[in-house]
Amino acid sequence: MTQFLKYLLASLILFFFLFPIYWLLITAFKPSEEWFNWPPILIPTTLTWNNFLGLEGGFYGGMASVVNITPYLRNSVVVATVTAFASTIIGAAAAYAISRFKVGGIHFANWIISIRMLPPVASALPLYLIFSQLRLLNTQFVLILAHLVFTAPLSTWILITFFNDIPKELDEAALVDGASPLNAFFHIILPLSAPGLAAVATLAFIQSWGEFLLALVLTSNADAQTLPIYLGRYITGFRIAWGPLAAAGLINMVPVILFSLLMQRYLIRGLTFGAVKG
Amino acid sequence: MYLHSRVSAIILILPLVLVLASLTIYPFLNMVYMSFHNYDLAKGGDPKFIGLGNYLAIFKDRLAISSVEFTAILVVIALPLEMLFGMGIAWLFRNLIVGERFMRSLVLLPMMVPAVVAGIAWKMLFNYNFGPLNYFLSLFGISNISWLGDPNFARLGIIIVDLWQWTPFVFLVLYSGLQSMPAELVEAARVDGASSWAVIRYVELPILAPLIGTVLIIRLIDLLKLFDIIYMITWGGPGSATHSFSYYIYKVGLSYGWDVGYASALSIVLLIVVVFLVNLLMRVLRLRALLEL
Repeated sequence: MTQFLKYLLASLILFFFLFPIYWLLITAFKPSEEWFNWPPILIPTTLTWNNFLGLEGGFYGGMASVVNITPYLRNSVVVATVTAFASTIIGAAAAYAISRFKVGGIHFANWIISIRMLPPVASALPLYLIFSQLRLLNTQFVLILAHLVFTAPLSTWILITFFNDIPKELDEAALVDGASPLNAFFHIILPLSAPGLAAVATLAFIQSWGEFLLALVLTSNADAQTLPIYLGRYITGFRIAWGPLAAAGLINMVPVILFSLLMQRYLIRGLTFGAVKG
Repeated sequence: MYLHSRVSAIILILPLVLVLASLTIYPFLNMVYMSFHNYDLAKGGDPKFIGLGNYLAIFKDRLAISSVEFTAILVVIALPLEMLFGMGIAWLFRNLIVGERFMRSLVLLPMMVPAVVAGIAWKMLFNYNFGPLNYFLSLFGISNISWLGDPNFARLGIIIVDLWQWTPFVFLVLYSGLQSMPAELVEAARVDGASSWAVIRYVELPILAPLIGTVLIIRLIDLLKLFDIIYMITWGGPGSATHSFSYYIYKVGLSYGWDVGYASALSIVLLIVVVFLVNLLMRVLRLRALLEL
């Protein structure tokens, strides 16, 4: 194959992968007259911020007014941030115990990773039943707990591979000098694995931020519902207000894309359970 | 000193164990219990023991069987295509002279898009009257396709979206594998007169085999869990054409119906399959060596 053909093929591939994102991006900035056109407007000439401000498209899909996104955004930020911090702290502590003291051994590690792979739909039903008995449904707290079930195992897992890369002599020397394991953990391991901690926190944030099924089942209104649920609600009408919907989608997507690009090196380690160090 | 370390280690691991145990072990036992009972939240009343009744009902449930069928179609069609395209793109990009890093970052974007947002984007693309997809097809003389109204096209649509979102993942893993491969191996084969196909077949593929296995199983499990995109794009429709097994469980137990007993039985079946696959994954990952346990 000549280089020309290779680049042609590569361009076609890029077009396929990027066009849907491009379409979302431009639709978010299109005024309502340009949402439903034939032929579709591929390169918009008039751009507007109105879709983000809730000023456009009040007449479509039978919506009297566009639902305010702010509470959903707030819930998403709170839930994803707390989940990210909690899962990093819990994961780091457990990963240190497993990496250095082999607590639980292979079976415990096996159990952790199995939980990570569980189908969310299978945990959604029992979690719903428990939390409804505890009268905790529709709270941010419940959603954080539910998200921890799959973020904490992954954080632990990835951090084990990070900690294993730190020479054992470092903390063993500290232990010999009389430091407690907890001291060695806080003063030697944690500072040395800062990039790993950041990567793990980011991964947990991304997962919680985009999680849909558990949020759908465990929350029921703006008190605790997150952005993905907000997006799901829009899609029901016969004629959907594409502009505001795309704008909300963009708000949901942008932080994730930024974080992932920053953490690209570690993303792959997370997604393959450490099989690829990246 | 040893005892002291042991105690510290257990203190450190305790939070994780508490969170996971309280949120998985009790719910799981509860689910097993429910799966042997007739219990429907919509009808009320107490759980009534019916033995294997819920499990036997699955075989007579036309919708359950068709959701297994669609899930099987997803696995049989989407999985090999994702693997092939992912590999193809990895090899193509590796042979580009310039711009490979930049283009790699761009190809990765779809898998970073939250599933719900991907659903919105594709729902717009699939639109019958105004969608860009039908527009592009019309340029080739193909008349408008009812992507979401026709059962077969709706199924094809879900497959396309999954390909779009997860081929980049396969690509990324295999590409990283190719990158970290010792250059001397390929060089040596070339010097010995191997064709580029022979290099791929006899040098690169065998080295990549564990990675390919890892990706294959991860993708397989993910396909069994497919839910978000279906909820956003087709709502399982038209009719029940795009009910995946996960979507059907949701429908039975958590939305249109509240048949906890039956949904639990369905979930247990799904769990058994997934746990089997996870164990396979452990073998491929060579867990003990990977975690240095």
